[in-house]
Amino acid sequence: MTYRKTAGAAAALLTVASLGLAGTPAAAKAPVAVAQCAASSTVKETLPNGTTWQLCWRVQDRAGLVLDDVFVSSKRYPTPVQVLDSIRLGQLNVPYDSGETEYNDLTEYGFGGSNLETLGGEDCKGGSAREGSDGGPEARRRKVLCVSAEPSGLAYRLKDYNYETGADKLYSKQGHDLVLRTISKVGWYEYVSEYRLADDGQISVRLGATGDLSPGDYVKADRGWPIGKGARDYASMHYHSAIWRVDTNIDGKGGEKVEQYDTKTDGRGSMAAKLKTSMTKIDKEGTFTKANRRWWRVVSEASKNKDSHKRSLELVTGADDRYEANPATTPDVTFTEARGCEKFATDNADPQCKTMKTILDYVKDKQTLKNPVMWVRVGFHHVPRDEDQSPMPLHWQGFDLLPRDFTDMNPLTPADRNGVNGQTDN
Amino acid sequence: MRQYRKWGWGLGIASVTAVIAFGVASWQVNAAPTPGASPGAEQPRVSDPDPGPEPTAGTGNDALTSAEVEKAREIAVTPELKEKAKDASGAAGPEFLSADIVDTDGGRRAEVYLYDYATNNLIKQVVDLGGSKLTDSYSAAGLHLPASAHEVDTALDLLLADPLASEFKDAYAKATGSQFAGKDGLKTTAHVFKAQAADPAVAQCGEHRCLRLIVEAKGRYLDLGHLIIDLSGRTVARLS
Repeated sequence: MTYRKTAGAAAALLTVASLGLAGTPAAAKAPVAVAQCAASSTVKETLPNGTTWQLCWRVQDRAGLVLDDVFVSSKRYPTPVQVLDSIRLGQLNVPYDSGETEYNDLTEYGFGGSNLETLGGEDCKGGSAREGSDGGPEARRRKVLCVSAEPSGLAYRLKDYNYETGADKLYSKQGHDLVLRTISKVGWYEYVSEYRLADDGQISVRLGATGDLSPGDYVKADRGWPIGKGARDYASMHYHSAIWRVDTNIDGKGGEKVEQYDTKTDGRGSMAAKLKTSMTKIDKEGTFTKANRRWWRVVSEASKNKDSHKRSLELVTGADDRYEANPATTPDVTFTEARGCEKFATDNADPQCKTMKTILDYVKDKQTLKNPVMWVRVGFHHVPRDEDQSPMPLHWQGFDLLPRDFTDMNPLTPADRNGVNGQTDN
Repeated sequence: MRQYRKWGWGLGIASVTAVIAFGVASWQVNAAPTPGASPGAEQPRVSDPDPGPEPTAGTGNDALTSAEVEKAREIAVTPELKEKAKDASGAAGPEFLSADIVDTDGGRRAEVYLYDYATNNLIKQVVDLGGSKLTDSYSAAGLHLPASAHEVDTALDLLLADPLASEFKDAYAKATGSQFAGKDGLKTTAHVFKAQAADPAVAQCGEHRCLRLIVEAKGRYLDLGHLIIDLSGRTVARLS
């Protein structure tokens, strides 16, 4: 979506003040990354490697946690660049293998309002519990968002041999994520909506499930797993098909294009198979299916990095069980043209567009994509196990948005490696 | 603990050297040590700003404030709706379900969702909060949002007053090991139920607004999945 220029003066002032840059040369050069929200709904944190994420957060009654206007900057690239216009869950569809039960957890219960948990216990240990509206009918302000910085392991490692000095130089750095999470209690299940914003620019999107197994859904052996003593009670297997709604806004310029890449075998070389990669433009709404070595990216037409490459976000998926028994949870990824009343991937209920009930309705007229919205489905077929009682250990499902050519080099590149960009002259 | 202290040092150094790194200054401003924390105790690794009092109105796409929700509701429930629409318990005026900020480039607008039990329509009222006026109005049958607390309460009352209350009481006794003695202490939520397969007892659910209750008592969930409360028809049915 297009970058909004309607920030309140108060918000702009707060932002400048909190940047602490007034009067420095950097402040004069850098465009102000205006927060589109009040200070209390802004998250702006700098990770140890110097990467800063800035965004607005809110809770929506049905969707739960929503991140808006997500910007990233780093020590190496200090000007904040917008990445996303918004990201949130677009549905959580939970059918039981018994065929007797199916829930649309966002639209039949909601992740916000009274189902949004106030953080307590060790929910936010080491982090900052932020207060904001729960999005419910009374807009109660509670501590609901946990913001924390967490180690993400080794960010990079390189041992470089210097032929002139004959000595090794070791580049080795620990990485960190800025982690945002809320918890929603939907019946016996408790869900964690989590976004991990890495210091290398990657955004990891996850849904975790904990709480307890359904107390009522016990079935025959071929649809469940024996839980409890002996082989008496079989807890029903079931699905969690999570679908996220991702609206990119790269560098605030909007109008991204969608590309699909496929790599196929292409004869033999002298030692191994040759592989050939081709790109297919996706310029109309549609649903898409994963294949071996297939991936998609949302690419800016208007914003390039310093190497003159178009900035883009690549969709990276991992473990993922497709629920093909429901047409609306079958597509792995769906691209639609942004429309205000197309809010949820299934069970959409907006009287303004009453026939638009699922993503399949949204794509039916195959509109040209001018402002694409990406709906990412990640499914998990949950086969209960004894260890699920009790409480159930968290099980996770999600995907990553990988910056592809957002910056001309690794944003964490140490100064000594500045010249390593492209093929070296030998 | 040791690892944490090292992290703290790293950030301190970064704040000296990375003069142009955004946010470092704000960390210095906001991340004051937690009052009363003992030396060596774990400190927040991120800033922990004071949220301050709730503003009257939000900024940009901020969630609606409680004052904005109240204002939007007042405008959304027109005199006509107040008179002709009905809520879940049959009283005059529509059932209020939710209010949300509309994501727009312009000023702040709210969409208010109401349910009219007189017509079984979901109503969306778009309210311009700055201009204090209703700008758009839409309604349709067969569409549902999650249940309000009032609807959940009403559904539980309907169930307890129905002959099928005996099944509720059986489920209570099975889950808790004691006799049901009243609503106190129950934690009740619900999800909207729409008939999928042909089941004559609940086929109207979808056009009607129906709930399936989730009731927790004494830390246990009651097995009530087979009982459907039709709020529109004010009936209770048992799934076959």
